[in-house]
Amino acid sequence: MAETSESQASASASAPGGDAGGEDDKRDERMLECNICLDTARDAVVSMCGHLFCWPCLHQWLETRPSRKVCPVCKAAISRDKVIPLYGRGNTKQEDPRNKVPPRPAGQRTEPENNSGFPGFGFGEGFHMSFGIGAFPFGVFTSTFNFGDSRPSAAPHGTAQYEEEQFLSKIFLWVAILFVLWLIFA
Amino acid sequence: MANIAAKRIKREFKEVMKSEEVAGGAIKLELVNDSWTELKGQIAGPPDTPYEGGTFLLEIKVPETYPFNPPKIRFMTKIWHPNVSSVTGAICLDILKDQWAAALTLRTVLLSIQALLSAAEPNDPQDAVVAKQYRESPQLFNLTAKHWTNVYAGGPSSIFDFNQKVQLLIDMGIDEHQARVALSTYDWELERATEQLFS
Repeated sequence: MAETSESQASASASAPGGDAGGEDDKRDERMLECNICLDTARDAVVSMCGHLFCWPCLHQWLETRPSRKVCPVCKAAISRDKVIPLYGRGNTKQEDPRNKVPPRPAGQRTEPENNSGFPGFGFGEGFHMSFGIGAFPFGVFTSTFNFGDSRPSAAPHGTAQYEEEQFLSKIFLWVAILFVLWLIFA
Repeated sequence: MANIAAKRIKREFKEVMKSEEVAGGAIKLELVNDSWTELKGQIAGPPDTPYEGGTFLLEIKVPETYPFNPPKIRFMTKIWHPNVSSVTGAICLDILKDQWAAALTLRTVLLSIQALLSAAEPNDPQDAVVAKQYRESPQLFNLTAKHWTNVYAGGPSSIFDFNQKVQLLIDMGIDEHQARVALSTYDWELERATEQLFS
């Protein structure tokens, strides 16, 4: 690997001596180098502070330090929405480079599963009520057996779970009332 | 190693070689292995500092996530400086930590380390002992730093008094570097240094 780079180095060293125009071309090229990978910027974007980057490079930089989003050159504030994509004439499809690198999907988390199934309704500390639909005979058992102890105890007051349970039981209560009214009037 | 890191180091290496600092002898950079992950840097002690005339070697390790994360750099040459550990050579410099920016290069980092030698930051020390001496007896700090530069970095000013004291401890059977550290730590008071070494 070192050998290849040496030969490249000697090649590039001999090039400017060959023709005088090479020097100018090189300077122009360097003007368009990404400040992160130091290569010619592809999918170029420019920051509000005027610094040029490849969008993939800048995207990775922003991802590396999500809490400290600064321009890698001048440390001005920088963000995804505050960079401008550059469209050259040679570029046939003028797609916003920012859409190419997909933003990382947000993390997903689910609540741990409740083993005892349907939690039913809680009124106060110990009393629970459930209802069944129609004349299915097991409905009787459902309401009967729900007086047993097999359900988890209600969450203690003040916790988020307690609030959630209260909220849910209110919703179900209203659904039940509406259902009963619908049965009566329909 | 990730492609972008190797590619960038190669480019930087070429650029450093062409830079005027290399031509002027202020910094140097060489490869340690073929994988471009490890390099050796060299900086000249800046003029008008106790480090003048010395050459300091630096170990540079390039992480796979370079340039999104900073290179790991430490002094291989022993140095007496508030922001460099006199034991491990670890450097306390913000751009090598949280202030790193992807547009910084090995060239700019080496120049920053060189600048750190001329402008120490004793309020954010890496070596508390050195920093204390720097604040409380700057004269002595200067002499000590000069002495270390002379012994370890090939600096020009040899300090007779210090050399003699070190030699005294060597004659007592103490390792040279250990003797120098103890004397430097105790402001070159032979008694306290000896006490510490034999306790």
